[in-house]
Amino acid sequence: MVKIKIDEEACVGCGSCVDDCPNDVYKLDEKKGKSTVVNEEDCMACLSCHEICPAQAMEHQDIHVAKRLYIDRKVNEVIRKIL
Amino acid sequence: METEREVFGNFKPELIPEECSGDINDYEEALHVLMKFMGSMSSALEQVSGRGANAIVYQAGKRMGHEAGKLVEKTDDLEKAMQELSEILGIEFYFEMWKPSNQAEYTIEKGNETIVKLIFRDCVVRQTLRRTGLRQKGPLCYLLYGYTVGAVEEVMGIKGKLDIDHVGPNACLKTLTIKWGGK
Ligand code: SF4
Ligand code: SF4
Repeated sequence: MVKIKIDEEACVGCGSCVDDCPNDVYKLDEKKGKSTVVNEEDCMACLSCHEICPAQAMEHQDIHVAKRLYIDRKVNEVIRKIL
Repeated sequence: METEREVFGNFKPELIPEECSGDINDYEEALHVLMKFMGSMSSALEQVSGRGANAIVYQAGKRMGHEAGKLVEKTDDLEKAMQELSEILGIEFYFEMWKPSNQAEYTIEKGNETIVKLIFRDCVVRQTLRRTGLRQKGPLCYLLYGYTVGAVEEVMGIKGKLDIDHVGPNACLKTLTIKWGGK
């Protein structure tokens, strides 16, 4: 099953992920002013939330990572070396 | 820049020459060129025909799907049809059935309709759009929708419809509606 982690240090509490997720996976914790994961089991790993989050605060674990063949193999090699 | 590898050999009509394929760099290069071409074709089509572009491309995809569907075994079993569809689409369009956690089965029966949600995980169309900086849900996506619907219609002998629920950078969710006895 998908596991989602929110980096609370990074999250700025904008609520974009709450609005954007089609499956209501997130909720804004009003007290903390941070996003929280409330419905992990409905996450389909579309990663729209990654694209909208201005703080890159979330991490999805154990998901199918879609092929991105348009990224040059040479670029991938360099990235792999750096990481 | 690396020097191109030239291929020399004999060539007769109707024969596949001994050496006509390339190495992985050639394939990568070809993929990039095709992605660029497809992307610019799709955006030009949209500029010229507006939303009508989606309908045109959908019909083209549907025709392709019907042709491809003729090559596989016919079935009225949805699960089997989904297997056939995944063979037709190939691994570059890897998809699976999906359901929200509060739904018991993958399929919902509504009168003479069966509804199933499909999540497309790998998709060359999505990759092409991202390669060329185009938005999803445009004409190229409709080519795949048409293709999927055409193939399912052909395999199952039904009338089908595919709606886009959500598009994302890593997966896209679609709803397939099958209309029984509606061909
Ligand atoms: S990956 Fe998609 S479904 Fe999952 S939390 Fe993000 S937006 Fe929601
Ligand atoms: S989009 Fe990012 S920064 Fe905004 S609330 Fe969600 S996790 Fe926090």
